[in-house]
Amino acid sequence: MPLPHALILKFPGTNCDAETARALKVAGFSAEVLPIALLEPGKLDTAQMILFAGGFSYGDYVMSGRIAQLITKHKLGDKLRQFVDKGGYAMGICNGFQILTQLDLLPRGSLIHNESGRFICRWAGLKKNASSPYLSELPDEFELPIAHAEGRFMGVGDDTANYVANGRAALLYTEDVNGSSQRIAGLQDDTGRVFGLMPHPERFVNKVTHYDPDWSQAERGWGYYMFKSVRDAMAG
Amino acid sequence: MTTTFEITGKFDTESDCHKLLYNPLTKPLKYRETQCYKVEFDGDAEAMKAFVQKVLVDPISQDAHEGGALLFPKAAFVLEYGMKGAALDLEKEMILTYYRTLSNPGFTITKLTLRKRIYVFGKEAEPEQFVRDVVNPAIHTHEVLRAA
Repeated sequence: MPLPHALILKFPGTNCDAETARALKVAGFSAEVLPIALLEPGKLDTAQMILFAGGFSYGDYVMSGRIAQLITKHKLGDKLRQFVDKGGYAMGICNGFQILTQLDLLPRGSLIHNESGRFICRWAGLKKNASSPYLSELPDEFELPIAHAEGRFMGVGDDTANYVANGRAALLYTEDVNGSSQRIAGLQDDTGRVFGLMPHPERFVNKVTHYDPDWSQAERGWGYYMFKSVRDAMAG
Repeated sequence: MTTTFEITGKFDTESDCHKLLYNPLTKPLKYRETQCYKVEFDGDAEAMKAFVQKVLVDPISQDAHEGGALLFPKAAFVLEYGMKGAALDLEKEMILTYYRTLSNPGFTITKLTLRKRIYVFGKEAEPEQFVRDVVNPAIHTHEVLRAA
């Protein structure tokens, strides 16, 4: 049986594509990094998952993810929406999450500068707030690295409280790390197939990348189990 | 035709000026930062405004103010700075890169100028330290503005 194929879009400034491809392969995907210049609508037909990796697409100019969203929309039109509607998966990690929110594939919201005004690079505690194809093999609480300047998720009015109540906010921080409303760390659409998160699962696939050399809560890093969860969900 | 848009963050509040400076201040000062886009263009003004709203403004977290007048008259001074004409302004280039992908935008950008504004609030605020620590004279030009 062929492996599910993940297409990782690489914009100028994307810098987590190689490690994301490695993580996907370890979890049982075939992975392809595709420079945005080579993207055409037909490419989506070859993939089961589209992945927007971390980095600083187009230098994060104007605001993070904005130019990448505009270029993607210009190249694909409604094809990405159709891809998801036909059962495709879409994942955004960090800058990719910022792009996904701009593409309107996730519930309304925006990722703005951290409340501190500073870039944050540390590990963050996370807890599941809802079931998700991306989280099924993870414990209720786990940790992943974060590294971002614009990770503070904000909505309009009661949006974020509603997302926590209805499970669209699938992943929450266990503490306030960046001022994100309701401590939202990850968001999913109503199908669960579109998922974006600020933490970096691809940076914790192997145990050795944990800050504690004696870490032994699982056989592999928590990021591996995130990718394996969605791999298993695709396999049915 | 020329139009200036100043972009403010809806969730922004006045922040401690120590975030901007290398040396401690002797008095408590606050600031707000905004981004100005001066668009010189020919063609359909409404199409240009639609472009600005689509490309430069996040409707959830930002507001666009047209005209270029200082937005916070209580500021002690405003430090406005941006790239020198001959310096490579990557943000401008990214905006123009997207603009050039549009087959029929309805207007032509003849010149785009980006400037940041730092509004400084507080009694006895003086601009010298801000100019020294924020502006890089090798690549930036700057002006100190005061509300009339």
